[in-house]
Amino acid sequence: MVVGFAIVAAWELVTAAGVIGFRRPIYNALALVGNMLGLAVLFLMLNAQFLFAAQVIVYAGAVMVLFVFIIALMNPVSDVTLGPARGSEWIYGIVFGVIFAALLGVLLVNQGLTGRPGPFTPEVINAVGNVQSVGTALYTRFLFPVEVTSVLLLIAAVGAVYLAMRRIR
Amino acid sequence: MPVPAYTFLLLSGALFTMGAIGFLVRRNPLVVFMCIELMLNAVNLAFAAVSRYLNSLDGVVFAFLVITVAAAEVVVGIAIIVQVYRAGRQMDVDGLDLMKE
Repeated sequence: MVVGFAIVAAWELVTAAGVIGFRRPIYNALALVGNMLGLAVLFLMLNAQFLFAAQVIVYAGAVMVLFVFIIALMNPVSDVTLGPARGSEWIYGIVFGVIFAALLGVLLVNQGLTGRPGPFTPEVINAVGNVQSVGTALYTRFLFPVEVTSVLLLIAAVGAVYLAMRRIR
Repeated sequence: MPVPAYTFLLLSGALFTMGAIGFLVRRNPLVVFMCIELMLNAVNLAFAAVSRYLNSLDGVVFAFLVITVAAAEVVVGIAIIVQVYRAGRQMDVDGLDLMKE
């Protein structure tokens, strides 16, 4: 378990570095696909099989296919042809990195989770079935957020169609 | 020996930081979008980890809603990027200041 986690964690960090490091957008996209698949494996380790399936289908499948499709369609310029990066961007990036590294240090010092444990132990979830238990939670306690999200999806679809029809100068 | 919870949170924080740095440093709008996806994924990992270690399903539901919202966001964002590309503008986030005028 620990060895598997270490391997997947290293894979996640390497592919994340690829997402921000490669100069050509198609390599960035492929690194992000690898990152999302590794994250799906981490969801499996966390006993979240439903999230694993959703991650593979929605992210690694639909979203990244859209990215790769758009890259193939537009053949966008890489950062190389945009000219050298300005120094201010790197300053912002480094400042942000230092701040978050400090936050991670706080996490290392303070390692416990203080929340009150709930009733859904892995045994309880696996007795009912992972998808069934998540679905029950979605359509009982979280019914209103689910409905709001469905309206958001509808708005996004309408907005995308509108943007596709309209021509800007 | 199980993996302690904070290692998942550390990995999540590291991924979020890398996504944020990429968001600030990169200039191609598509790559900036990918860095946003990286950050959303990192948050999902934290949700799933806390959900698992506190024996709760709320985090899993939240992560599912985040995935849904991210899908909607990508659809609209890519539609806007394609519009900018069709308008013949330079594909550089620093050059996209149409809303300033």
